[in-house]
Amino acid sequence: MFEWVHGLPILSLIAYVPLVGAAILLLLDGGRPALLRRFATGVALFDFFLSVPLWFAFDREGPLFQFVEDVPWIEAIGVRYQFGVDGIALLLVLLTTLLGVLAFLSSWSAIREREKEYYAFMLLLQTGMLGVFMAMDFFLFYVFWEVMLVPMYFLIGIWGGPRKLYAAIKFFLYTLAGSVLMLLGILALYFFNGEGLLGWQGLGNPASFSVLQFHEIASRIPPDLQFWIFLAFFVGFAIKVPMFPFHTWLPDAHVEAPTAGSVILAGVLLKMGTYGFVRFSLPILPEATVRLLPWMAGLAIIGILYGGLVAMAQKDMKKLVAYSSVSHLGFVMLGVFALNPAGLKGGVLQMINHGLSTGALFLLVGIVYERRHTRMIADYGGISKVMPVFATIFLIITLSSIGLPALNGFIGEFTILVGAFNRVWWWAVLAGLGIVLGAAYMLWMYQRVFFGPITHAENRELADLGRRELAYLLPLVLLCFWIGLYPRPFFAVLEKPVAYVAARVDPAFAVDVPADVASPDAGAEGEALQ
Amino acid sequence: MNGPFPGLAELAPLAPEIALGLLGCLLLVVGVLGRGPSHRLAASLALGAVGVAALCLALVAGRFTGGQVVLAGSFVLDRFALFWKALVLLATAFAVVVSVRFVAEGRYRPGEYYALLLLAGTGMLLMASGHNLLVLWISLELMALSSYVLAGYFREERRSQEAALKYFVLGAVSSGILLYGISLVYGSLGTLRLDEMAAAAAAPGAAASRLLAIGWILLLSGLLFKVAAVPFHVWTPDVYTGAPTPVTAFLAAGSKAISFALLARIFVQGLPALAGEWQLLLAVVSAVTMVWGNLAALTQRNVKRMLAYSSIAHAGYILLGLLAINRVGSWALLFYLLSYLFVTFGVFAVVIVLERREYAGETYEDYAGLARRAPFLAACLLVFLLALTGIPPTGGFVGKLYLFGAAVQAGWGWLAVVGVLMSALSLYYYFRLVVWMYQREATDATPVPLAARSLVGVIAVCAVMTLVLGILPGPFVALTQAAALPVP
Repeated sequence: MFEWVHGLPILSLIAYVPLVGAAILLLLDGGRPALLRRFATGVALFDFFLSVPLWFAFDREGPLFQFVEDVPWIEAIGVRYQFGVDGIALLLVLLTTLLGVLAFLSSWSAIREREKEYYAFMLLLQTGMLGVFMAMDFFLFYVFWEVMLVPMYFLIGIWGGPRKLYAAIKFFLYTLAGSVLMLLGILALYFFNGEGLLGWQGLGNPASFSVLQFHEIASRIPPDLQFWIFLAFFVGFAIKVPMFPFHTWLPDAHVEAPTAGSVILAGVLLKMGTYGFVRFSLPILPEATVRLLPWMAGLAIIGILYGGLVAMAQKDMKKLVAYSSVSHLGFVMLGVFALNPAGLKGGVLQMINHGLSTGALFLLVGIVYERRHTRMIADYGGISKVMPVFATIFLIITLSSIGLPALNGFIGEFTILVGAFNRVWWWAVLAGLGIVLGAAYMLWMYQRVFFGPITHAENRELADLGRRELAYLLPLVLLCFWIGLYPRPFFAVLEKPVAYVAARVDPAFAVDVPADVASPDAGAEGEALQ
Repeated sequence: MNGPFPGLAELAPLAPEIALGLLGCLLLVVGVLGRGPSHRLAASLALGAVGVAALCLALVAGRFTGGQVVLAGSFVLDRFALFWKALVLLATAFAVVVSVRFVAEGRYRPGEYYALLLLAGTGMLLMASGHNLLVLWISLELMALSSYVLAGYFREERRSQEAALKYFVLGAVSSGILLYGISLVYGSLGTLRLDEMAAAAAAPGAAASRLLAIGWILLLSGLLFKVAAVPFHVWTPDVYTGAPTPVTAFLAAGSKAISFALLARIFVQGLPALAGEWQLLLAVVSAVTMVWGNLAALTQRNVKRMLAYSSIAHAGYILLGLLAINRVGSWALLFYLLSYLFVTFGVFAVVIVLERREYAGETYEDYAGLARRAPFLAACLLVFLLALTGIPPTGGFVGKLYLFGAAVQAGWGWLAVVGVLMSALSLYYYFRLVVWMYQREATDATPVPLAARSLVGVIAVCAVMTLVLGILPGPFVALTQAAALPVP
């Protein structure tokens, strides 16, 4: 039914529809905001519908990367325009297009000035993010990775809160500083693959930035070179994730960003860091990964506990959610650095889960903020009486975020803990403490905001959710339940890429994938890939 | 080659220089006759002269491509030279076009202004193909003397006078140093021809000569003055702020670029045997220049001054290309300067548009709310600033990528780290301008009149080229690779 997508450069279409939309948007009449809103949301929706067939047409048993497009771009230096998705990227692409639509819908009432520029930047941002997940050429990847910073900078810097100028430039500077170091790492790989660099004899291959080519030569990169490249990549990705101690830009950016910006930031942007680790650091630099494993896991666990503790102390709901992201992404990193299929699978799934539930949390906070213009927990209390539907959805999302069984967070965190336990048992124990912390700060916030007497008179008049608000929250709630109750389709998509990455970084998994976390044929595939 | 006067046929390779120089002199003469030509006519004549020179260049390029050394070894016509000549003509043409409004509004004679631009251009053309230290020095002086006058063109403005005087005094000192260096090099190697120099320096024992060492260090210092590298940069901020902005653009894009070409020509072709030593010195200079230029730019309150320091910082990045004059560095340098030309002219053209009086458009406040008042200008300036920072999809990114790549490849990893961190830092001061344009309300809401269509045209061309160099750099990379200086 969806075979037709194979005949199209479908990934490019998905990536550039928002760009074209932004260009058209600029031609529209700026004096008619309703038209701008509808048009931009329409473009995002169209893009989402364009991306859905990928889910059905993606062959779970097929090659690792699918829908591949590959044409020379800058031939003189071996850069190719290479798009393709594996199971991991597929999920992230779908998450991006979905959250895009919801973020646009949520902006209708939140953004009241300079709408044309706002929607143009949002669309541009979509293109950048989609490109990051689709690129199979490191150069192309880097281009999208950086291009995306510009619209995000403006979204925070123009439509943000009172300290927007500071937050926006901090976000940009931090990320840029990380990315340029990553760029040096990319260059080092590029030269090692070709003519050689510094003191290292190159492999003499034709110039290429292809990620698969780098995967190919992984085992031939000398350990000390791997170490330096790993550090360069680490700075770039860890700032993006953000891992402790590189997280300080995140609370500022989140608190000051407009709701939609926060949703995209938490839902998609942060995933680029973890995606980078899975796609590049692990398979290209396996030896360095293993060598630095204790450090990585240590930082991840510190992130989990530190994020949780700081979240507990927050008075501002948005800031609380921001710090909870630090904690949740610590989980993702822990799963990834468990370096076994269970951990990786859980880590990737938790990226999606975090996108859904934290995205939803930011949307929810945005909804009350629009009504009351405050995000302080102390300004609320007892509002479950006046906003019952809102309170219910908020509760579901809260439970999903703290990992209650039957909801998505549980599946992700549990799988991560299995993976971490298999690697070093006490990692899982420490991370388990993080779950307890998570339950504490989320439920405590919920209690203070929704239960008890209504202490502020203004809160008596709060209107419950409107239809538009329901429309952008329900899909997230449904997905939380879907992943929580029946995660199989998601794991099925991840099976192959995860086995591939695990086998690359730890040859033990090439032949012997533990039976509890893999389908029967995963072992054979791992072998074939090796 | 018989007798002191070469035949006309032998002068053919110099056709572009001769054309531009003669037409420049002609314009100078016409300019002082009676009331002189109108500013419009003068500009058209100047553009015409550049056009004629370009035509000559095209003819010459068709006939001489094999790196012929002509006129008793004084000139060389290789692809490297042809590339720079094309770049110089482009810069001169841009300079003429962005000057139109300023000359029209000024109370000064248009003829001599354009004539000086053309003469500076002639000097630069000669610099591109000089193959003899003395010829190189003379062409450098032709460019420099014309620039001194141009920098002081606002005769009635004290800042312009100050700029010209500073530029002249420091420039004269640096020329002296350069000349002294040349004489010492001549004394120890016994030749001024670059190819013979290379051979003589490679001879056993030559490299150990202390005289030669002092010579090339002085030579290098003189050239580093021209490219505005620390510690020879002190003139730059004052001259950039004081000079008329079109002249500043010409200095920042044209004069700087060709000086880098000269640096590459002399040191890579003439002294490859000493590469280990001069590269070490350049590495230190490059690091200090990147750090100092960027840190100083952070604190500036005047846009032209900020751009001056940014241009110093960029000199530091560009030096990386010379350090890594292996396969990547050789063309990364050319590519970067090509993209830098468009970016620099674009930025300064925006400043010129905003200049109401002779010195407006200089403070950050002048850019407040520009996104509302002139969305097109603001968008173009955003593109230029992204390119200066080195963010894709702009030519600045591709250029920086390969400069840093070259450094990494050639073993200057620590310099590349300094470079990328500094260029990340530069975002802060470039984006201060963006903050004013996009995130602050205008103090006066009057739309900026896009009066001079030619200026807006230059800005548009530069913005488009900056993006093209970033998105489809393929043909340009191939072009610069072909034009790269052959590395011995």
